Amino acid sequence: MDYAKPERADALAAQYVAGTLRGPARRRFEALLSSHPGLRGAVQRWQDRLLPLAAVLSPVQPPPRVWQAIQRRLWPAPATRPSAWRSLAWWRAATAFSLSAAIGLTFWLSAEGPAQAPVVVVLEATGAGLPDAPTGAQAAAPGRFVASFSADGRALVTRPLLPVTLAPERAFELWAVPPQGAPRSLGLISAQGLTVIKRAQLPQALLQGRTAALAVSVEPPGGSPTGAPTGPVVFAGKLQL
Amino acid sequence: MTHPALDWSARSQELAALLARAGLGDRKAFAQFYQRSAAQVFAVLLRIQRERALAEELLQEVYVSVWKAAGSFDAHQSQPMTWLTQIARNKAIDSLRRAQTQPQVVHLQSLGDEGDDDGPSALEQLSDDAAGPAQLLEQASDARQLQHCMQSLSGAQRQSVALAFYDGLSHAEVAEQLHQPLGTVKSWVRRALVSLRSCLERAVQREREGEAAHAQSAGYSRPRAA
Repeated sequence: MDYAKPERADALAAQYVAGTLRGPARRRFEALLSSHPGLRGAVQRWQDRLLPLAAVLSPVQPPPRVWQAIQRRLWPAPATRPSAWRSLAWWRAATAFSLSAAIGLTFWLSAEGPAQAPVVVVLEATGAGLPDAPTGAQAAAPGRFVASFSADGRALVTRPLLPVTLAPERAFELWAVPPQGAPRSLGLISAQGLTVIKRAQLPQALLQGRTAALAVSVEPPGGSPTGAPTGPVVFAGKLQL
Repeated sequence: MTHPALDWSARSQELAALLARAGLGDRKAFAQFYQRSAAQVFAVLLRIQRERALAEELLQEVYVSVWKAAGSFDAHQSQPMTWLTQIARNKAIDSLRRAQTQPQVVHLQSLGDEGDDDGPSALEQLSDDAAGPAQLLEQASDARQLQHCMQSLSGAQRQSVALAFYDGLSHAEVAEQLHQPLGTVKSWVRRALVSLRSCLERAVQREREGEAAHAQSAGYSRPRAA
C-alpha cells in the first residue's frame, strides 16, 4: 500500500472511519497514525463528515454498575488505617527521635514555680492531603501549625501559624506519636484559632517524654472513628526544645 | 423536529468545558461528562457489539481511555462527541474480532421475525424508534448536508455504507447480507465515500459563501469539513 499518495491515504482514512478497514490492514493503519500527521488530518476530516451519522441513534442508558466500575478502575479506594500508618511510619523513620526533647519535656513537666521556656513544636506540612486525596482535604503547604506547652505547664496550645485550609465535613485531629507503637489522640484542634488542651487531658506518654512527634490528620467530624488516624497525616513536627 | 443529540453548539461547548476540566484532574467534571454522554456512546457500542455484557465492558474501556486522554483533547480540532464516537467505534470494531465466530449480521428483511433460537431478534436489540440503518439515515435531519449527500447516492451505495457504519459490518459481511459479490460491495462503498466527500465539500463551500455575508453566531465554530 502506498500511503504517500494523498488519494490513497484519503481512501484508507475514509474506510477506517466508515469501519470497513479491518483486520491486519486496520492495525497497520492505526500504527501509522501517530507518525503521519497527513494521515491524521485525513482521518479527522472523515470523522467530521461521517460521525454525525451516529448522533441519530437513540441514547441507551447504561446501568449504574458501569460507572461504579469505571470509578474503581480510575480511582481505587485507598486503604484507610494502613496507609495512614505507612505515612506515619515513613515519617517517623525519616526524623530521628530527639533525646534532648525528651529531657526538656521532662524538665518542664516536673518543674513548678517560675516559668520555664515553653517547648514549641512546629508542625510542617507533610505533603499528604493534596487536592485529589479521597477526603478532599487541601491542608498541605503552605499551612503550618504550632503546638506549644504553656510556660505555666498547664496546657498544650495549638494554633495555625500560616493559614491552613480544611475541606468541609472534615476535622483536624492531633496525635502524640511515640517512637514505636500507636499514636495517641490528643483530640480535635481548630483550623483557624487556638485550641487549648489541658494538662489533665494529655496522656502520660506525652507528659513523661515518651513522645517523638506530634501529628495532625484529617478526620471525619468528631474525629477518627477507629482510635487511629484514618485520613492523611497532613502536618507533623518532632519535639524539640 | 431536531433530535436533541444533534444540537451541536451548546451541548458541544458544555462537553468540551467538562472535558478540559477532567483533563486537569477534576473528577466531578468527568462524572458530569459521563452523565451527559455515556448513553449516546452506549448506543453506538450496542449497534456494533450486540453482546450487552461486552458492550458494557467496552463502555468502561472508552471512559477509562477518555480520562487518561482528556488533557490532550483539542477543542479547536474536534468536537467532543466526534472524538468520543471514534474512540467507541474503534474499540467496538476491535472487539468484534475477539467475539464469537458468528458474524453479527442484521437481517433487514426479517426484522419483524422473532429471530434465532440463539438470541433475541434483531428488532429487540435495536433502539425504539429505529428499524434499521436506512431509517436511521432518514432521521439525521439536522445533519442536513450529510442527509442531502446521502440521498444523492444510489440505493445500493447508501445501504452498503449504512450497514458498514452503523452495524460495523465488514465488506465481506455486507456482501453476504446483500447477496452480492465482494468486489461489487467494495466498489459501492468506495464510490459512496468519494461521492460523499465531494458533495460535502461543495455544501461547505456554499455555506461559507453564505456565511461571509452575515455576522458570526456567538461562540461556537463548526470544525472544517474540507
